[in-house]
Amino acid sequence: MGTTVTRPPLDLLQGTLDLLVLQTLSWGPAHGYAVARWIEQLTGDMLQVGEGSLYPALHRLEERGRIASEWRTSENNRKAKFYRLTAKGREQLQAETATWGRFVKAVGKVLRTTEQPV
Amino acid sequence: MTGSEQGRWRRALRFWRSDVRQDVDEELRFHLEMHQRELAERGHSPLTARQEAERRFGELGRIREECVAIDTRQRQRAERRETMGDLWQDVRFALRTLRKSPGFALAAILCIGLGIGVTTTIVSAVHAILIRPLPYENAHELVSVYSQDRARDEHGVNISYPDYVSWRDESRSFAALGMWTWQALAFSGEGEPERLEGAMVTANLFPLLGVRPFLGRTFLAEEETVGRNRVVLLSHGLWRRRFGGDSSVVDRTIQVDGTPYRVAGVMPPGFAFPERGEAWIPFAVDPARATRGNRMYAGALGRLRPGVDVAQARRDLALLSARLKQQFPQDNDRWEAEAIPLREDLVGDMRRPLMVFLGGVGFVLLIVCANVANLILTRGAGRRREIAVRTAIGAERGRLVRQLLTENLVLAGLGGLVGVGVAAIGVKLFSQANPDGLPWYVTFRLDGGTLLITLLLAALTGVLFGLVPAFKGSGANLTTGLREGTGGSGEGRERSRLRGTLVVVEVALSLILMVGAVLLIRSYRALTATELGFNPRGVLSFRISLPRPQYPEEPQRLAFYTELFQRIAAIPGVEAVGSAQGIPQSGWNVQSHFAVEGRPEPRQGEELEAHYQYVTPGYFPALEVPMLSGRNVALTDRDTLNPVGVINETLAKKAFPGENPLGKRLKFGGFTSTDPWITIVGVVRDIRHYRLPEPMGPAIYFPFLEWTGYTQTVTVRAGGELTAVLSGVRGVMRSLDADLPMFQVQTLEEAMARSLWRPRLQGRVLGIFAALAMVLATMGIYGVISYAVAQRTRELGVRVALGASRRQVVALVVTQGVRLALIGVTVGLAGALILTRVLSRLLYGVQATDTLTFIAVPLVLGAVAVLATWIPALRAARVDPLISMRAE
Repeated sequence: MGTTVTRPPLDLLQGTLDLLVLQTLSWGPAHGYAVARWIEQLTGDMLQVGEGSLYPALHRLEERGRIASEWRTSENNRKAKFYRLTAKGREQLQAETATWGRFVKAVGKVLRTTEQPV
Repeated sequence: MTGSEQGRWRRALRFWRSDVRQDVDEELRFHLEMHQRELAERGHSPLTARQEAERRFGELGRIREECVAIDTRQRQRAERRETMGDLWQDVRFALRTLRKSPGFALAAILCIGLGIGVTTTIVSAVHAILIRPLPYENAHELVSVYSQDRARDEHGVNISYPDYVSWRDESRSFAALGMWTWQALAFSGEGEPERLEGAMVTANLFPLLGVRPFLGRTFLAEEETVGRNRVVLLSHGLWRRRFGGDSSVVDRTIQVDGTPYRVAGVMPPGFAFPERGEAWIPFAVDPARATRGNRMYAGALGRLRPGVDVAQARRDLALLSARLKQQFPQDNDRWEAEAIPLREDLVGDMRRPLMVFLGGVGFVLLIVCANVANLILTRGAGRRREIAVRTAIGAERGRLVRQLLTENLVLAGLGGLVGVGVAAIGVKLFSQANPDGLPWYVTFRLDGGTLLITLLLAALTGVLFGLVPAFKGSGANLTTGLREGTGGSGEGRERSRLRGTLVVVEVALSLILMVGAVLLIRSYRALTATELGFNPRGVLSFRISLPRPQYPEEPQRLAFYTELFQRIAAIPGVEAVGSAQGIPQSGWNVQSHFAVEGRPEPRQGEELEAHYQYVTPGYFPALEVPMLSGRNVALTDRDTLNPVGVINETLAKKAFPGENPLGKRLKFGGFTSTDPWITIVGVVRDIRHYRLPEPMGPAIYFPFLEWTGYTQTVTVRAGGELTAVLSGVRGVMRSLDADLPMFQVQTLEEAMARSLWRPRLQGRVLGIFAALAMVLATMGIYGVISYAVAQRTRELGVRVALGASRRQVVALVVTQGVRLALIGVTVGLAGALILTRVLSRLLYGVQATDTLTFIAVPLVLGAVAVLATWIPALRAARVDPLISMRAE
């Protein structure tokens, strides 16, 4: 394949990617390709990651029971593997969204503060 | 739909999309193709579209492998969960079914439990003795070397020091060859004096075994010289017991045999040599004893060079022995070296009885299988309707087989549990059989290995006896199954034949076992009933050994022993005190060949050999051995230049047939030997000195005043309580020499009983097997006949209605059973005639084809078989024609 892809640190990426996947699936069942396109559109390709990394993430989430899969016929009449959020996945999404929000807020606050705290 | 059916549905679904790799490929291909198409729509050429899609995707290979790994892991986990779930459900179902017929379940479980229990016991004994690795490095390379005289069939004989040196230096097969001999050591000084079995060993012996000391060091080569040899090695147990596990004991000086010895080191826990020996000193040979003809040292022990096997070593030693024979015709003419693999040497003749046990237990296990198969068939017949119905409503054959198998495996599992309990008891009994003479490394215990074997056995029996009936059961032809269940038509012919065959096999195997057991028990009886020639009852015996430094001169020893015997004789209740070098059955054995005055010199190899030892005048009275003619040895016999001796009956018969031996003279060695002529003054009755069943040979007894050895085996005959006498003896010993330990303290009766442990164990083990086999076979016959009666109720009812008498009905049923028993007995007899030949070497005083046994055993078994059919027959005779014909 030849091309090297620069990747952000894996642990950060992993958690974020999981969260994004769960969020995209919260809109309804989708196959991996659709998930990839949505994430690309919404992040403006910011993740800069080989799209393929999405698949291990999907399979791992399925292994942990956050999402479930099923082979269905896709919009262009081909067999595709569709994923959907499970109850467990929905819970995790809610919890992590909240955590993420607090995290972003906290980091943002630090970055906005110009004076050194006493 | 039941849970397990859902499980199967899930499995089937998964089967259609079974390949994980294929799934992943499909998914990723879908992604790439979608992307390619989209890119193409946006204006890429097909080729660049594909390249772009792949570039954006990333490392396809790695991602694919990662996904496959995740999915495989996930699926395995799911499958395991599911199998466990299914299994658990089958087990629960089986347990429920078994609870519905508790009689059947109990009988089967007990049967299997007993069978597996005895099997595990025997397997663990075999494992302990023959299989568990010797606790040495690369133990298969270790070889014992002894002298042998093949012409006279004498093997495992002691060796001489120069022979050892020749073998060590001139043979090419050994990486190292060490030498050892028995050496008891008396510890005194700190604590109670005690005498322990141990050995004198060459410095290279422990290193060549690969045993490293726990503390300190083993011996140095230079310690093999007299003067530098006052060092001692302790066993771990001795160190803990006597020195409180104090590691400062190394290099300390302690009293051994009344002499200061420096402690060189402590050997590791569990190490013993030889047998249970627990203390060692260096092999420093006194030059006076290091002559080639002086074969008085126990043996050599070597490690073969890598790649050399025992056969090669034997050839090598044979060549060397031939050379030594030429070089030293005087001393080595009869003798050559004999190499035996260490394990074989240690196990000795335990192998044969163990193999007999193993065979016997195999029979028991077969009988158990036959019996349980029979039970299951009987039950299966009763359940045919259930199975036929289930088949009719669509249950699959495979499913039914699995369920029946699970049921059998559950039975086997429960039986296995019972078996472990039985085995625990069995192993305990085995270790209580008092096996002296067993190699030291043998400990009887149930370990992981044997338990695993038990488990496998249980599973195997479960499958074995379960499979046939399971297939028969599930293969039920629908209509016959439904019809047969009504009991009107009797049992299916094929099944009845199978059940009959099983019973025949059981009876035949039982007969063989019973014959074997009776032979061994009769053999043991014959041994215990052997006329010993002395009376072991009421005799206490113990040994003492005077230390050389304190009693270097013979008069000192004589004075000590004379005083000792007098004081013991004065203890109330003591009737006689005697002493010999070794008491009967103790293994003491010294022989020499002799010449009779006035006879032509016997040709070489044809000399008479006699056992000899020095005894006190009290020895024969203490053992109640009668003098047949002449006189006993006396306290006045102290002329060492004109010695006298008392010979036994056998020697009198062999050397002086038809003559009066009194006054005749004989001498040890040939006519040319420098030994003095010995005048025969008396003839004493033969006593069975050797361990039974070895016969007594010629023997000659010398008065101990002619030569008073260091070690004596004292025998005290007392009418009353031996324990009271023993404490009296201990008091006397303390007052004479408080540092002198008594050892091998025992009653003569105990000693006799112990020496027969092996024939006793053989009889008992086979006896238990035979009893078990008979009970099982009886159960088998009873089961088959009562089942047949139940099946034939209607037919019998018709017969009674048509006027058959009660006697005729009983005869009808009994004949059926007796026919089976007769076939079984016939087959068994043939088998026993062939197989008991294996036993012939374990038998004593009874032939392997003993007529009485071969008549009595079949009669007993036949009688039991008739009895077993009698009860169902009586039940059949009570059949009320009206009820029986209305039944079902």
